[in-house]
Amino acid sequence: MSRIIVVTSGKGGVGKTTTTSNLGAAIAKQNRSVALIDADFGLRNLDLLLGLEERVVYTAIDVLAGECRLAQALVKDKRLKGLVLLPAAQNRNKESVQPEQMKKIATALAKGYDYILIDCPAGIELGFRNAISAAKEALIVTTPEVAAVRDADRVIGLLEAEGVNKINLIVNRVKPWMVEENKMMSVEDVLELLGVPLIGVVPDDEKVIVATNKGEPLVLGEYDSVPAQAYLNIARRLEGEKVPFLDLMANQGNLLTRLRRMFGG
Amino acid sequence: MSFEPTISLDKDEIKNDNLQDSSPLVNRYSQIYLKHDDEQMLLVLPSQAEINADLPWSETWQELKHLLQTKEQSWQVGTNVCLVAKDRLLDARQLQTIAETLDDVKLTLLTVSTNRRQTAVAAATSGYSVQQQAVAQPLIKTTTDLEETFHTLADPLYLQSTVRSGVEIRHPGTIIIFGDLNPGGKVIAAGDILVWGRLRGIAHAGAQGNPQCRITALQMEFTQLRIADAVARAPKLRPRRLSPELAFMTTEGIRLAKISEFSKRYIFSSPSQAWIDHNQAK
Repeated sequence: MSRIIVVTSGKGGVGKTTTTSNLGAAIAKQNRSVALIDADFGLRNLDLLLGLEERVVYTAIDVLAGECRLAQALVKDKRLKGLVLLPAAQNRNKESVQPEQMKKIATALAKGYDYILIDCPAGIELGFRNAISAAKEALIVTTPEVAAVRDADRVIGLLEAEGVNKINLIVNRVKPWMVEENKMMSVEDVLELLGVPLIGVVPDDEKVIVATNKGEPLVLGEYDSVPAQAYLNIARRLEGEKVPFLDLMANQGNLLTRLRRMFGG
Repeated sequence: MSFEPTISLDKDEIKNDNLQDSSPLVNRYSQIYLKHDDEQMLLVLPSQAEINADLPWSETWQELKHLLQTKEQSWQVGTNVCLVAKDRLLDARQLQTIAETLDDVKLTLLTVSTNRRQTAVAAATSGYSVQQQAVAQPLIKTTTDLEETFHTLADPLYLQSTVRSGVEIRHPGTIIIFGDLNPGGKVIAAGDILVWGRLRGIAHAGAQGNPQCRITALQMEFTQLRIADAVARAPKLRPRRLSPELAFMTTEGIRLAKISEFSKRYIFSSPSQAWIDHNQAK
């Protein structure tokens, strides 16, 4: 039975698309087949992040219009067997698709792939309704910021009302040193408020930006980075494995902390 | 170290703040509600006059789903439901959506009560039994209904879920939440509000003007509390309290007390329309 998972956040710019592309690649690395659906019609980015832009011929809109078959629109990733992308149209807006149509596409894809990841647009309007219409599960991406967490909370409420009850949380862009100094919400603070199970914590890293600009998911890079490890761990947890969370605080100047404690901290 | 007062309240300023939205707060009451009526259950939709006329159908439906999922499932499987649509216009498709939503929680839509001809026709074609009321009669009835609610409160509303950001719960009675009230969430009750969890959003008790109503929570970390026409904001700095607390109206505005101390110390004084410390009163 394949799993249809929507990656959503409410707020924009928290890393939905980055998460979708990396997670897609990480799942494919586990020898699972995965189809990524870009549901951000009019503002597509997922193909860019995956470095597949120049290979897009047809989009989801063409499939819906009957101009091509679903299989023709899927862009296969050459680097990873089992990873395909269904691109969104750049020239249309979100109103050109209806929830039922999205549902049809996702269910059709579900027959051929183990995982369907849907990259949801920001906001809670029609684009969001389209993206969640077919989903059975959701991954909420949030950053440890008040506004992002508030929006995540709203989105969780909406998902629950739609009957999507299997919701997991990814806390993205955590800056351990800021948490340490009490300048940023900690993962615990976020969890306490949202009350949904945590499936991954991804630290903030410049390598993510580099990888994004290169169009190569971090997980595929040759160098080993903490965020890449975090994404691979999330993929394993999705498979039901018990993987301990990375200790992001480990590298955080213990000396510094100790000094602060000594000097009246 | 000096602590700010538990709650800062500037009554005059706040009254002005609140002047504009105080009437809709009181009038735009409970959206949709569900109640037992002998063998069957009544699903009552707000009448066109009670809601903003431009409230889209999708929102009403959203509300219904939220209500059904969070409300205590106090009904027997297969209980029949009578939809009290009042003067709402409903087409066959909307009726079907309602029936399907009810079906998800094992309730069966059987009867539709309406005073709109179109709704009645739609319901009859869809195979529901129809109770059509004359237009004149319900008009009088709604006014008496409204008057009634001012004196007697509806049954308490028991919600078993966290009230998340963007959700607004209104009820013409007491509201009990078995869960948290998150920041951005809003609960408005004509009676008391009890939160068996963390209260971090906005709570308004006694929304029809009763200053005797109270708000309690296991952990008070509110954004704003309102009782009758008074508003209190959370101070910037507040020591984290671990014991359950209760908010109530005093002559100086809204105050907090430990639940364990409240009943021993305070009594409600009708002349001053506030709770007073009975040690000081003597």
